[in-house]
Amino acid sequence: MKKPHTIAERRQISLNRHNTLVGLSFILPNFIGFALFILIPVIFSFILSVCKWDGFTAIQFVGLENFSNIFKDRVFKASLQHTIIFTIFSVVCTMSLSLMLAILLNRKIRGVNFFRSAVFFPYVASVVAVGAVWNAMFLKDGGPVNTMLQALGVSNPPGWFASTKWALPGVIIVSIWKNMGYFMIIYLAALQDIPSTLYEAAVIDGANGWQKFRNVTFPLLAPAHFFVFMMLTINSFKVFDLIWVLTDGGPGIATKVLANYIYDRAFVSWNYGYSSAASMILFLIIGTITIIQFTVQKKFDDVM
Amino acid sequence: MKKACMLLLVLATAFSLVFAQGSSEGSSTKQETKGPVTIKFSTWDYELDPGLVNLVNQFQKDHPDIKIEVVEIDSSSYTQKLSIMLNGGSDVDVIMIKDADTTKSLFDKGQLTDLRSYVQKDNIDLAAFNGLTKNFTMPDGSLVGLPIRSDWYIMYYNKDIFDKAGVPYPSNDWTWKEFEETAKKLTSGSGQTKTYGAHIHTWQACVQNWGVQDGKHTIMDKEYSFFKPYYEMVLRMQNDDKSIMDYATLKTSNIHYSSPFLKGQIGMMPMGTWFMRTIIGKKNTGESTINWGIATLPHAEDVPQGYTVGSATPIAINAASKKKDAAWEFIKFVTSEEGTAQYARDAAIPGRNSEKVLANIAQAEGMPEGASDALKVTNISFDSPCVDHVGDINQMLGEEHSLIMLGELSIDQGIQEMNERAQEILGN
Repeated sequence: MKKPHTIAERRQISLNRHNTLVGLSFILPNFIGFALFILIPVIFSFILSVCKWDGFTAIQFVGLENFSNIFKDRVFKASLQHTIIFTIFSVVCTMSLSLMLAILLNRKIRGVNFFRSAVFFPYVASVVAVGAVWNAMFLKDGGPVNTMLQALGVSNPPGWFASTKWALPGVIIVSIWKNMGYFMIIYLAALQDIPSTLYEAAVIDGANGWQKFRNVTFPLLAPAHFFVFMMLTINSFKVFDLIWVLTDGGPGIATKVLANYIYDRAFVSWNYGYSSAASMILFLIIGTITIIQFTVQKKFDDVM
Repeated sequence: MKKACMLLLVLATAFSLVFAQGSSEGSSTKQETKGPVTIKFSTWDYELDPGLVNLVNQFQKDHPDIKIEVVEIDSSSYTQKLSIMLNGGSDVDVIMIKDADTTKSLFDKGQLTDLRSYVQKDNIDLAAFNGLTKNFTMPDGSLVGLPIRSDWYIMYYNKDIFDKAGVPYPSNDWTWKEFEETAKKLTSGSGQTKTYGAHIHTWQACVQNWGVQDGKHTIMDKEYSFFKPYYEMVLRMQNDDKSIMDYATLKTSNIHYSSPFLKGQIGMMPMGTWFMRTIIGKKNTGESTINWGIATLPHAEDVPQGYTVGSATPIAINAASKKKDAAWEFIKFVTSEEGTAQYARDAAIPGRNSEKVLANIAQAEGMPEGASDALKVTNISFDSPCVDHVGDINQMLGEEHSLIMLGELSIDQGIQEMNERAQEILGN
């Protein structure tokens, strides 16, 4: 026995169902693409990380052997270390430099649009072109960077990409230069959202320039800080193309990062198991950092 | 409710359309058996290899029932792309394997056809390939490829630079020590106009190969002290005599070996025989006016004359191919006496080579005088053997090579690290 519905109730149910179906059909095309090209490969990669597979023959289950072998591999350990150093320096330097640039270019100066475009330009430029140019800039003998250093009185300038000590700093510098512009734009947008009344109030209270920055600008940029920090961290952990064109992980393994390692294991050793296991470790690191960032942000938002 | 049903119907049709398209693509390939058979042949830099183009055209003329569709892949990523294609079940029929040392891994994956029955059926005498087929014979005895091309290292030199310095041209029987001394004599000038006595390209092969030239050592030895004399030589030339360009500059500015030689900046360069075709091509188009010669590779004092290092390029049939017989016809032709004689006329060295073939090469248009003597070799050691983990070992050796050449590690430290890392990769 069905429970009798009033006409209004019935209409409501039908409308709800209709709305749900329409909603679902709208996200369906996107979801199919996501499932086919992202979700399924990711799940497959999870499975592969505990298997041995060359890409063609039968997949063998090997348990945690891949992980234990990876942690014994000196190239993996070095790659992990380089990735962490790269991330720390490029995140901290890019954040502070793009904030500084944003504040500088937020004033009413002549030709501000030109300077903004100039700083943003590297972000638009192709990585391959950037790589070729910086390789030439950093030439050990006769490169513009070293010529300048010598003119400034540095008698023994570094060898940059020809030296194991200086290759990683070199790559970090290029990465900062390339990303600075994009994050500057984000900071600029956020800066323009700060109401001028707050600065006026601060001036009345007798705040100087630093105090205005410290107590008004910086805290009010919090949402931008979170966004920039998160994007930069994730991007830095995943860095691949820039290093590929600049040094290809060399000299030796001095600039090899996790993404390079994952590529090598998959397409040089044809060992997808190792490769997936290393991807899982990268995934775990990025995942953990993202979760921490989200929780901190939530707490911060509640306080605000 | 009706509307929802309609929506589902529309979606279902959309789906079926998507899949229908996929399946029709699959079936279209099967219909070709009626007309002439089309086989797909994957190779790299096809247009730059006139010999191969002529071979393909000749074959199609002789076999009107077989059409060849060339699948050209970019040479720098050929090995990776080929492997991915095969893993994905590609319908390519005949494949050339650019890095011969990957043959073993393709075989392990079951992607190569055993050619023994074809060889037997057509009475192919494998002895004609001078032992090169050994490299493509797998541990279980299957023969998975025939050498279409063979290349080895020889010495290229610039006659004008020798004449200017008043130094006699190198003979075909000379030692690495003589090479080093000659390079020093040929070096002159400074800055942009400096003439370098020799050129050692950035590949690890251009130093480490001279260690395996004796035919006793291989890069899989796990103990690499046999590289030491050659690192010492090259570093002396780079740092003391300054008779070769600096590794760091070459590497960071990504200089291809052909440009300094073709521009006439260097006296001598050990390089593979494939470079002969490049020089002839560049001279034909007028991009270079170099007056060049070739000599046999120098050897160590305790290594006999005529020993060199090289590799052979196998041509194989994809195990998943549905047109294996037609594919075999093509392979049979390009490795036959007739085919190879034709190939040699374009200054390519076929895997089946003999006095006659070498004479053909030496007579090819644009070849320097005395080439047939310079190309005579008595033993070719493989620069990288077809065994497991050779890719990992090569990568490791390349990394350590750059550290030694940059002076980041001493030769002993570098070799020590090579030994340790080879142990880690290969186990004990």
